[in-house]
Amino acid sequence: MRHISRPATAILMAAALAAGATGCGDDAGSGGTGTGSGSGGQIGIDLPRADSDFWNSYAKYVPRFATELGINLMTPTNSQNDVAKLVANAQALQSQGAKAIVMAPQDTGAIASTLTTLESKKIPVVTVDTRPDKGKVFMVVRADNRAYGQKACEFLGEKLGGKGKVIEFQGSLSSINGRDRSEAFIECMKSKYPGITVFEEPTEWEGTKAAAALQTRLAQHPDIKGVYMQAGGVFLAPTLQVLKSKNLLVPPEDPKHMFVVSNDGIPQEFEAIRKGEIDATVSQPADLYAKYALFYAKAAVEGKTFQPGPTDHGSTIIDVGGGTLEDQLPAPLVTKENVDDQALWGNQIGK
Amino acid sequence: MTNSRTVAVAPPAAAPRRVRLARFRDLALVPAILLLVVVGAVIDPVFLTKANITNVLQQQTELSLLVLAEAIILIAGKFDLSLESTIGLAPALAVGLVIPVASNGLGTDLPVALAIPLCLLTGLAIGAFNGLLILRFKLSAFIVTLGMLIVLRGLQIGLTGGQNLFDIPQSVLYLGNAVWLGLPASIWICGALFAAGILALGFLRHGRAVYAIGGNVDAARAAGIRTDRVVWIVLMLGGLLAALAGLLMTGRLGSVASAQGDGMIFTVFAAAVIGGVSLDGGKGTLFGALCGVIVLGLINNILTLGGVSAQWIQAIYGAIILVALILARVTSGKAQD
Repeated sequence: MRHISRPATAILMAAALAAGATGCGDDAGSGGTGTGSGSGGQIGIDLPRADSDFWNSYAKYVPRFATELGINLMTPTNSQNDVAKLVANAQALQSQGAKAIVMAPQDTGAIASTLTTLESKKIPVVTVDTRPDKGKVFMVVRADNRAYGQKACEFLGEKLGGKGKVIEFQGSLSSINGRDRSEAFIECMKSKYPGITVFEEPTEWEGTKAAAALQTRLAQHPDIKGVYMQAGGVFLAPTLQVLKSKNLLVPPEDPKHMFVVSNDGIPQEFEAIRKGEIDATVSQPADLYAKYALFYAKAAVEGKTFQPGPTDHGSTIIDVGGGTLEDQLPAPLVTKENVDDQALWGNQIGK
Repeated sequence: MTNSRTVAVAPPAAAPRRVRLARFRDLALVPAILLLVVVGAVIDPVFLTKANITNVLQQQTELSLLVLAEAIILIAGKFDLSLESTIGLAPALAVGLVIPVASNGLGTDLPVALAIPLCLLTGLAIGAFNGLLILRFKLSAFIVTLGMLIVLRGLQIGLTGGQNLFDIPQSVLYLGNAVWLGLPASIWICGALFAAGILALGFLRHGRAVYAIGGNVDAARAAGIRTDRVVWIVLMLGGLLAALAGLLMTGRLGSVASAQGDGMIFTVFAAAVIGGVSLDGGKGTLFGALCGVIVLGLINNILTLGGVSAQWIQAIYGAIILVALILARVTSGKAQD
């Protein structure tokens, strides 16, 4: 080890980086196998990762809705947030005889050639949560991420009375969802609440970076009154911890109260809303993702087609260009008033 | 023991010179730090306030403990990549063992008082296991700890089901949260540990032995140092420090994230190498490594205060690190390795 040359070390470090990135996650989410001797061919599904609360909930909903819809579901694979694994899994599902595949490519560019291959084999693909940059898919099932940023902006703008300072924890700008939320939030702020100053903090979805940015900004601008965090799963606990240490964790009636809006809709956020620690979150519909991904996959196998326009489940299918259809599912804003609504998925999975 | 005494006597011929050179490397980053302080003060007067400096130091405490561990291990001529997974697994396992199943616990419901000892013990055990594979089975430290990095991360995700743990016992939150004499406890802890490390590596026989082993393991063995034992202890110490860092991070952030520490090892290496610790072993000081940590912390803070746009922050961060390295090279006048 000691005599290893420096270039070699650099290469090994790079290898370690790659391994480190793929090393996170195991197949904890690939447990359930759906049954149901459903109509039509079997449907394959790839789960994107096993290390986030949101996707773990999604993974739990998949077998449930498969049974409900009478789908013959294959054992789910898990690509651990790695597009290379996703490509390999898609090939495996295809050779095992999948008639349709549901996937959630987190890298929306690198999946293009796989989509082309699947198209040539006449296997329809439904993507969840993200829209591929290129390639043919049967349907994109996605929440309207721009609406997340929009709703957060309107909530904060109203609570602050159109003036003051807010801090925003952006997700990763290399992800379409992070970008959509960031763009919509700042556009809305600029056009509707020009009196509000926004500090945009890049975090790469890391809680440590958000906590550091919040501490620093509060030292610089003690009069910050609002926080918009784009993912409650990673930012909630660090934010509350920082606010607590600054004695800013006070009820909404207190003039020192910091207004916090989150995105995700995990049970911990609901609990914080009940306690008055945060004020609102946008519930990302894990249940609807699973349900409608499987619904469209089944419809694809049965040869059904869809047209742009409103659907029967309160959403709208839009043509996002090149004939790609996207079902933009509604993502409700959860506040103290409706936090106990049992229809929210965060209230369904218990703690 | 008589053997080791001869060792203690043998190096003095070379030691004073080495120490002086080492001191030089030590201070190489000080001009860079001063420059950053000036730039920070110009960008925003808030930079020099006590609150802000305290924030910077507190944010760097966990990183600094990993760098402390990694620097000692690098000086001993070994590698430990698994530290970044230990910082997540150790607190996750300890917390999982004491919290109820309803909060994603493991169902053992051990007494809450055991959480901290369990966490530290986990770190120690991981270090000992690394040592076993590296020293007894003679496997490459790099590959062993790379494997461990993946295994430990996988274990954490497997044990917690990929969930973040939110229901953290008060005792675990304490160290990352408490304030002692006006400063966060974690800053005192890191300061004390770095002081102890600098003294031990600079003046104690076993500390000097770490340099001897990293410089030339055969010569060190011939001189009567029990090389394997010292390296093993160093690896265990590394695991222990990483577990402690995990406790501090858990306390500061109020949860154990399933990706806690993920990717951190590169920042650890960056800090150690900027601080003058050689990847080839035997060279570098803990003070230098600490300077490396502070440089990275200051850069982060200044970029936030300056409001650098999100799209450019990484490029600028990297560029400033390179400038700091060049500045260190110019002011110390010594080739880096």
